[in-house]
Amino acid sequence: MQWWCSALGEAWEWTWRPYPGVWAFLALILAAYILVLRGTPAAATEARDRGTRAAVFGAAVAALWLVLDWPVGALGAGYLASAHMVQFLVIVLVAPPLLLYGVPAQAYRRLPPRVIAVLRPITHPLVALILSNLLAFATHLPLVADRLLASQLGSFAIDVAWLAAGLLFWWPVAAPVPERPWFRGLSRIGYLGAQLIASKPLFIYLTFTTYPRYATYELAPRVLGITARADQQAAGLMMEIGGMLILLAAAGILLLRSTAGEEALDGTRPPGPATDPRPSARRAP
Amino acid sequence: MSPPIRRTAALIFVAGLLLALGLAARLSRGGAGTAGADDASLAGVVLAEPMPKPAFTLDDTEGRPFRFQERTAGKLALLFFGYTRCPDVCPVHMANLAAVLDDLPREMREQIVVVFVSADPERDTPERIREWLDAFDRRFIGLRGSLEEVNAILAELRLAPVVHGQPDADGDYVVGHPAQILAFTPDGLLRALYPFGTRQADWARDLPRLLRFTAAGTLESSTQPRSSRES
Repeated sequence: MQWWCSALGEAWEWTWRPYPGVWAFLALILAAYILVLRGTPAAATEARDRGTRAAVFGAAVAALWLVLDWPVGALGAGYLASAHMVQFLVIVLVAPPLLLYGVPAQAYRRLPPRVIAVLRPITHPLVALILSNLLAFATHLPLVADRLLASQLGSFAIDVAWLAAGLLFWWPVAAPVPERPWFRGLSRIGYLGAQLIASKPLFIYLTFTTYPRYATYELAPRVLGITARADQQAAGLMMEIGGMLILLAAAGILLLRSTAGEEALDGTRPPGPATDPRPSARRAP
Repeated sequence: MSPPIRRTAALIFVAGLLLALGLAARLSRGGAGTAGADDASLAGVVLAEPMPKPAFTLDDTEGRPFRFQERTAGKLALLFFGYTRCPDVCPVHMANLAAVLDDLPREMREQIVVVFVSADPERDTPERIREWLDAFDRRFIGLRGSLEEVNAILAELRLAPVVHGQPDADGDYVVGHPAQILAFTPDGLLRALYPFGTRQADWARDLPRLLRFTAAGTLESSTQPRSSRES
């Protein structure tokens, strides 16, 4: 029995296979979340907010489960580059902002100063943007991807690296700490726009090629009669269109929240006269 | 963020983006597999001593006798022994070959003959072979003979014989067969074997090179073909 999806080289069969490693991984994430909630007492007025956040966190875990387990996980690990791209989009662009939003703001504020000190430089928007894209690009290099996908541990490493890249990318937008008053509203929308540009090299690399990039998918038994070349081009287009739609949706939410006077995806309000006396102090020296 | 820091940050971002774009462009040019290399070596396993083309005759999918040596004379013949129920090696080999042949210039494509010999004549009817090959390329030639005839050809080519596995409860069985595509160059010699794992980019690079082995038995430098996009 396999514990994580990897390339097998066998003909594809629509027969369910268990992947206990996926279940254990997701159970660990849920267990950690419950521990965080228990360690963060909530006021009675926050009960509804907690419920919403828990539901969002649960949705993120469910999304991860859908793309890591059979059939999408198995197809993506060894048969179809397009299925691999669906995994990529969900693991990097869909699940992380939901996971980050699902954690109550109080829990972030209880993080030890040492952790904040580490988070501060790596979650700086510019650093996060560059690091997450480098990680995404590195895991898409054929030399890296073909070798890693051949083993369960390697395939697991790719999925974890993607999740890390996603959390890193979304942290400045969806997490309330470290606080960056200068990075709110339109700055965050601009950040998402920069990601649209930053993902272009990978899109070009995957889509505009005569021959399939990855031996894993080129030499895998075909599924549903899709040729290796069409599969890879579909993967490139999915990355571009799917990624763009997700980022536009997130930008739309940011814009709505910004105009409504709320703050972004982390659910906290921006500093203002009611919560922060500094601006009014500056206005009346 | 103060203006100097903002400027530095912007520079770092632009540099990172340019680096990534450059890397992507470099990798795009290189392509997959070994395409793009400019040496005389072939991606396939090159025989130290080329072997002569065997003179066998088997029926094609129309039931007509196909004299391999005569019908492929002066052309690049790619010979493969497989079976249509093959779950992995055979369809991948055929699909990759078909994809690359589609990209070749017509005059070059017409100099290449792909011949598939069934290693499972019991189940591979001529109609089934034709239908299976048509899914890849209608120009592929399908041949069928008795298992004895097929094994005699394999023996002449010094390849392992076809072995049929034990039938399962449904009567299905796997067939052990050589996984290589044999490349007979236009000079009538078997020069290289292409094992499973040969990539499309490898074929794209090697097919024009294999065509350059003419009847004189030499690699003609004057007939440099219009090569494929990545060669």
